[in-house]
Amino acid sequence: MKILFYGRLADSIGRELELHMAGCSVAELRHRLASDYPDVGAILANRRSRACVGDAVVHDDYVVAAGDTVGFLPPVSGG
Amino acid sequence: MVALLEEQRLDPQRELGELLGQPGGDGAVVSFVGIARRESMRGAGVDELLLEHHPVLTLKSIEEIAVEAAERFDVSRVRVVHRCGRVAAGEPIVFAGAASKHRRAAFEAADYLMDRLKTEAVFWKRETGAEGSAWIEPTEADYADRDRWG
Repeated sequence: MKILFYGRLADSIGRELELHMAGCSVAELRHRLASDYPDVGAILANRRSRACVGDAVVHDDYVVAAGDTVGFLPPVSGG
Repeated sequence: MVALLEEQRLDPQRELGELLGQPGGDGAVVSFVGIARRESMRGAGVDELLLEHHPVLTLKSIEEIAVEAAERFDVSRVRVVHRCGRVAAGEPIVFAGAASKHRRAAFEAADYLMDRLKTEAVFWKRETGAEGSAWIEPTEADYADRDRWG
């Protein structure tokens, strides 16, 4: 599956990553990424960081399929 | 309701003109313009603000906020225009305005729009200036402002 990163997550991890973790939940994916990239572990664990699949925001219990593109969105700020 | 993502220049006069120029029975137009600060929270000089956005979710988030403002308050029109990309210090970032029969609804709608945009519009902001680059996130006060709307 393809994983996309935005904002400060992209600064640390890069824009895009390919991982083979089909069948895992978004929460498990967060843990794996936090362990692989400890610099941004706190951002990934932040309750205000969200995940999306395609163009829909998903909850932590969403089970990721092999063809999914998962985006990780650090806390947002407009205005 | 109008919600737009502007990649080039945001002209607040033109946006206000759009709200003022519509015929109707409105007695009030309230608008807010957010401007890229020339100083960081730490007091360092800022040259530029980057507004990174998501190809789909960003516009969707602005549209949802504008629609909910239009539903929640007794306003006839709501207009939100938000910049994305690189914005030089001193240039406008956002225009949020509302028109209504009586002033209170338009004031409240503009206030509500900004509280929600600050904390929920899908952007990631990075300031670049004298001290390098830093990502900016909403403060606890920003979240408290948003939460007062319930």
